[in-house]
Amino acid sequence: MFLESSALQNWIIGLLTLSILSIVYKENPAYRFAEHLFVGTSVGYSVMTKWYTYGKPTIVKSIMAEGRWTYIIPVILGMLIYTRYFKSISWLARYCIAFNIGYGSAYVLTNDPRSLVLTQMAATFKPLWVPGNLFQSVSNWVLVFGVVGTLMYFFFTAKRTGIVGVGANVGKWVMMAAFGSAFGNTVMARVSLFIGRMQFILRDWVGVIPK
Amino acid sequence: MSFWEKAQNIDRRVPYTLLIVLIAYILIRPIGLAVEINAITQAAYNNLDKVPAGSIVWLSADYGASSMTELLPAQKAVMRHAFGKGLRVIAGGMWDEGGAMTDYAWQDVRKDFPEKKYGVDFVNVGYKPGGKVLLERIVADAHQALQGIDFYGKSFAELPLMSEFKTFKDAKLIFEFTSGTPGEQDYMKMVTDPLKIPFSAAATAVSVPGIMPFVQSGQMQGLLQGMSGSAQYEVLVKKPGPAVAGMDAQSVAHLLMVVFILIGNIGYLSTRGKKPQSQA
Repeated sequence: MFLESSALQNWIIGLLTLSILSIVYKENPAYRFAEHLFVGTSVGYSVMTKWYTYGKPTIVKSIMAEGRWTYIIPVILGMLIYTRYFKSISWLARYCIAFNIGYGSAYVLTNDPRSLVLTQMAATFKPLWVPGNLFQSVSNWVLVFGVVGTLMYFFFTAKRTGIVGVGANVGKWVMMAAFGSAFGNTVMARVSLFIGRMQFILRDWVGVIPK
Repeated sequence: MSFWEKAQNIDRRVPYTLLIVLIAYILIRPIGLAVEINAITQAAYNNLDKVPAGSIVWLSADYGASSMTELLPAQKAVMRHAFGKGLRVIAGGMWDEGGAMTDYAWQDVRKDFPEKKYGVDFVNVGYKPGGKVLLERIVADAHQALQGIDFYGKSFAELPLMSEFKTFKDAKLIFEFTSGTPGEQDYMKMVTDPLKIPFSAAATAVSVPGIMPFVQSGQMQGLLQGMSGSAQYEVLVKKPGPAVAGMDAQSVAHLLMVVFILIGNIGYLSTRGKKPQSQA
């Protein structure tokens, strides 16, 4: 159980946590050290995880044991990205990037329209009057005219007068409310992260709150 | 300088210090505020609750240590719910640390379910790279896509549960713990929308506004929103944990921020157009 707590582990985690939080006061060497340690450790973990969960099994099992020699083609294609570090052959990296862009575009074009466009569009077709449920009726009005107004805000080829002007104004206020909600959620997320760190310090390290 | 002018130029260390002290105090001396269950969290709970006993559910741990506070309690609560209902769980992930997070959850949850056996009731296949490409390949052939080994390096041949999971079509529900990309949109595009598999998720609070349209459209049935959603699910499975413990501090922290926002805005409105006294 590699995440099992121990006294030494808790001290290391606690001191690194305090080092990172010390940026609140001002820039200092402890923060810099912890920041660089975090970046290096996370990159190292990522590389090793990818190698042991995918790279090594692909080479040992799929290619060498099962004889899927065609896998070598995408391996070589992927390795071409590293030619960017050698000026004379850096043009070879374009093949890797082009392939990535090509398959990425294909995935977007074939899958995004259904889930991200058509289904979402269909979900805005709401009844503007729900008998016996005034709240739902008002909610549907807000949804429908909020979406229409937001789309009209981005009609840059039409003058902002008349119906387009009114719609764009509605869209502007709807978007501001949405961004406010997004900001509030972001604040909640950041506070949650800090509470998690404080729980570790007070519970697992210092021990003033019960586990 | 008047009070309101000073209020707009507070050293940032003052609110930070107040926040730290207040959160620490509330964690040590909790108030005990009630955790209300909202409709969206209840929908996620009901979605898992109606899966028949013995079915396989796929949990996707698409987050890292940076989102552990918000999502690990949710994953533990969902796993407790699934095991309590007699469901069999296979956990994977499109993020590097997903396997480790799942292991962390399993080591804690298994203490409450000693009868659950690894390989029979639960498998952690860990992280596999590829994002949406991985999902598409799992739809076609899960064993080939997942390289036939789990997070601990064991072959699928040693894990009886994996003999019943050949593609995503063998899962009766997908529950994702998401903190960004790759994430829920990839599942909807590649798996749940085409195959019509029930789908719920727990997301970091920062992702929630972007995910709500999918809840509204019905593409996602229920969503746990940040640590608050995790706390609600802990209450629903009757096992309060760190998420519930953090709710008092969260509420009080938000109250402090509202106070500072009010002071700042009142100060701005009251000093708008006036010359600072020091320049008069």
